[in-house]
Amino acid sequence: MPLFRVSGLSKQFGKLAALADVRFEVREGEILGLIGPNGAGKSTLFECLAGVMPYDSGSIVDANDKPIDPGKALFYVPDAIAPWPGQSVSWMLEFVVGFYVGRAGLRSEIVAQMDLGAILNQPIGTLSKGQRKRALIAAGLLTPQPALLIDEPFDGLDLRQMRDIAAALRSHASRGRTLFLSIHQIGDAARFCDRFVLLNAGRIRGDGTIPQLAKLAGSPAEQNLEEVFLALT
Amino acid sequence: MRSRKPFLWLIDKEWRELVTSRAWWLLLLLMGPLTGVSFIGAVRTYSEVSGLNGTSAGVGEALAPLIGVWVPTFSSLELAAVFLLPFVAIRIVGADRQSGALRLELQGRVSPIARIFAKAIVALAGWLVAMAPMFLAMVLWLIYGGSMYPPEMASVIGGHMLNAGLTVALGFAAASITEHPSTAAIVTLAVTVGTWILNFFAALQGGYWERAAAYTPAVMVSSFGHGLVELNAILVGLLLVLTGLGIAAIWQRLGVRVSRRLLESLLFVGAMSAAIVLSSFARANWDLSENRGNSFPLADEVALRGLRSPLKIQVNLAPEDPRRADLERRAFSKLRRVVPGLDIEYSSATGIGLFEQTREGYGELRYSVNGRSSTSRVTTAEGVLESIYETAQISLPKDVHETVFRGHPLAVPPVGAAALFYGLWPGLVLLAGLLVRRKYR
Repeated sequence: MPLFRVSGLSKQFGKLAALADVRFEVREGEILGLIGPNGAGKSTLFECLAGVMPYDSGSIVDANDKPIDPGKALFYVPDAIAPWPGQSVSWMLEFVVGFYVGRAGLRSEIVAQMDLGAILNQPIGTLSKGQRKRALIAAGLLTPQPALLIDEPFDGLDLRQMRDIAAALRSHASRGRTLFLSIHQIGDAARFCDRFVLLNAGRIRGDGTIPQLAKLAGSPAEQNLEEVFLALT
Repeated sequence: MRSRKPFLWLIDKEWRELVTSRAWWLLLLLMGPLTGVSFIGAVRTYSEVSGLNGTSAGVGEALAPLIGVWVPTFSSLELAAVFLLPFVAIRIVGADRQSGALRLELQGRVSPIARIFAKAIVALAGWLVAMAPMFLAMVLWLIYGGSMYPPEMASVIGGHMLNAGLTVALGFAAASITEHPSTAAIVTLAVTVGTWILNFFAALQGGYWERAAAYTPAVMVSSFGHGLVELNAILVGLLLVLTGLGIAAIWQRLGVRVSRRLLESLLFVGAMSAAIVLSSFARANWDLSENRGNSFPLADEVALRGLRSPLKIQVNLAPEDPRRADLERRAFSKLRRVVPGLDIEYSSATGIGLFEQTREGYGELRYSVNGRSSTSRVTTAEGVLESIYETAQISLPKDVHETVFRGHPLAVPPVGAAALFYGLWPGLVLLAGLLVRRKYR
């Protein structure tokens, strides 16, 4: 069942079409990967969906074709930010639970999953890229919205951390949380996501599972995602 | 902790952000020496005029602590409001955009206007803390045996709070509209310099410029600083604060198109401008100064209120003629407070009046009331009153029993002030800064 549906979404930056007639749907409880090279428009799409960037045309509707309230339907964790740099990780998690009326009961579990125990009292501004990424994913997981959009969740993580966090995210998805992840490393996305939305130069090149995308590309069903992506773009 | 409402979480977050920001601690640190310089200087001068070290005693009889001590001491707050507070305000709003926190907070359940109000509350609380050296100066003055008249002190403090509100609102609006804090700082200082230019222009041109200049922060603070509380100044000041905060809230909504934010801003500013113009007609005012420095004697006020028809005064003095400023300060400002139908019309051929001195009629004041008119060249308050009574054919008011202000001379050196403001305060701020920043991390 679709949680929300995006249709005809377009966004121009001057003469540059950052997003052009973008259409796809996000289903409840799935892990959806937004795949595309750098500059494809992934972050722009996420920001438009989250309501922190205006779009020029298009609509985002729920299963009953009613416009969604982004604040209620989804939460977006941007890439490369260091919010509240003077505050500790522990405070940030408390704040997220209080300010967004989030999932207080999951706090300890998420702290363990993201391996934050050692850095709980450290100011966010002093964290390494990987530590900050883990802290922000933890904050996102504590929010109450049914869908969680994370921009580049594995950026800055080493292999072990990536595997641990992938497992943690999957455990939350298995409990009904919808995850929509923007990933530019196609190999990582292929191992982790249920379905994919392929975005290149602001346009959707296809969406579905790997076999569905392979069929769309006219490739053999066992073809890997990288080959399918190259064939479709 | 978790049962708090999101708005209270926001207040908590803003307070933490403020007390972990270097800009605010720097403001606190500098407030000590700034207050010290002005307070120590004012007390020394006041003491000398009051007869310290052999100066002729008796001169101090006319001395009011409000004018002699508190106006100069509080001038350091004005300085801080112009040159330090804007940076604190800009940081409060701009840091969220720079760090990416804004994009996260906009996804919460608190509206942008509530976010901005939370920030404003915290900024003003931070300003109150920064005013602590002023309160210490007041305590020192009382310890020295100085006199303090609470209503006039309330007026001074209220004026500086309103001024801080204006600065904060301006800083917030600039930081919301612009992408970068440094641009916001330039915009804020440009607006401040603009108000100074307006004051300068008003002094030259008079008329509507003068009316507009009456609502610039410098003039408003000066009015409150002399114990004169005017309803129109309060209303206009508060509306200007709301305008700044409203614009800041409009431009915080990153998800709304710039063209729509611009349109909303224009409509909002238009509506607030109309409210400001209407508020400027409010006439209620209160002279809270102990020496009633902003008022005529009570007997004269009673007589002036009895004028049945509008009073018109034509003044042939150039804007930069010092007699005009004297008239305004000593007579017309007091007259406006008690005569509802007062119409003062200035006329001159030049701005400075230097080459008009020989022109026939230059320097004359023509009074018209009750269908009669008279002309005079006297520019003292007493002279103006006499001319009005003579023209209106009102007999001079009899003396009524009125408490005469005798002044509060005080000849004491500012003992301990230097140690407090130059040593103890900075030391305490540094220590508190270290402890608080550690606690909140």
